Amino acid sequence: MALPATKPRPDRRAADPSRSTASFDALYRDHVDLMYRFATRLCGETEAAKDLVQETFLNAYRGYNAFRGDAQVSTWLYAIASRACMRMRRKRKGEPDRELSLEEFIPTSEGEFRLQIPVEGLSPEEALQNKQLRQALDDAIARLPKKYRMVLILRDMEGLSAKEVGSIVGLNERAVKSRLHRARLFVRRELSARGIAEPGHQHNSRPAQ
Amino acid sequence: MEKRKASRPRPKATTPAHKHGKGRCVAILRKLSAYLDDELSGEICSDLRRHLGTCPNCEEFLTSLRQTVTLCRHQPAPALSSAERARMRANILRAARPR
Repeated sequence: MALPATKPRPDRRAADPSRSTASFDALYRDHVDLMYRFATRLCGETEAAKDLVQETFLNAYRGYNAFRGDAQVSTWLYAIASRACMRMRRKRKGEPDRELSLEEFIPTSEGEFRLQIPVEGLSPEEALQNKQLRQALDDAIARLPKKYRMVLILRDMEGLSAKEVGSIVGLNERAVKSRLHRARLFVRRELSARGIAEPGHQHNSRPAQ
Repeated sequence: MEKRKASRPRPKATTPAHKHGKGRCVAILRKLSAYLDDELSGEICSDLRRHLGTCPNCEEFLTSLRQTVTLCRHQPAPALSSAERARMRANILRAARPR
């Protein structure tokens, strides 16, 4: 597994399996819900999310000695999950991860400036009681090219800072912000008249020519 | 809300519906996330606000982008049952241990 290179340390856990299980259990108990939420958002469906969580904790178990404690444990787990997700998806599909250009997000008709499902005057919780809106949001995020989806989920859904996101996905802050902006514009467009009114959403699912 | 007529050909992406200062609007569009995240310097920020005050389309675009980010932040995610949690833990430990 691709953890940062570190000096080998004596594996104390290997000598004492009960101790290793106890420290794994603490790690698992404290972070499994966080990782499952992240995995569900990344994968969009529960079985793939469970696979990703198991892969993440298996890699964490095996790589625990390489964890130097200079990052938060959760950041370290996010990084393991992100890499595992990239590998899993690549194996399954081999779809090209297309680039999003800012130009494609410039509205071309009046209706596109606002969201199709009105949320004005509602709290976010109230707005999200609308099943159609929840579904449209999930669909929009699922249609994002995965490197953009990763950044949007970490920053806007998991609530990490741009710096933390950069350390997880291996980008500088500037690149994180640029990707985040495009990802937000993409989701906004999907929720606007242009995204929802057109059947099949073909304008955005096709790779740019 | 206005609906697009199916028979009307879609304008090209390079012809936005802005009626004025098209280039200015595109420049504004590039900065809106930084604006929402409070990352712009004071001067750029007041420039942007000035533009928003005179351009209802950009104002509306910003509102919808802000709403999008807020919705993302509050989108609920399903939780694991304790049985699933235990089953997954057993799978992981089984895979981790040499037979």
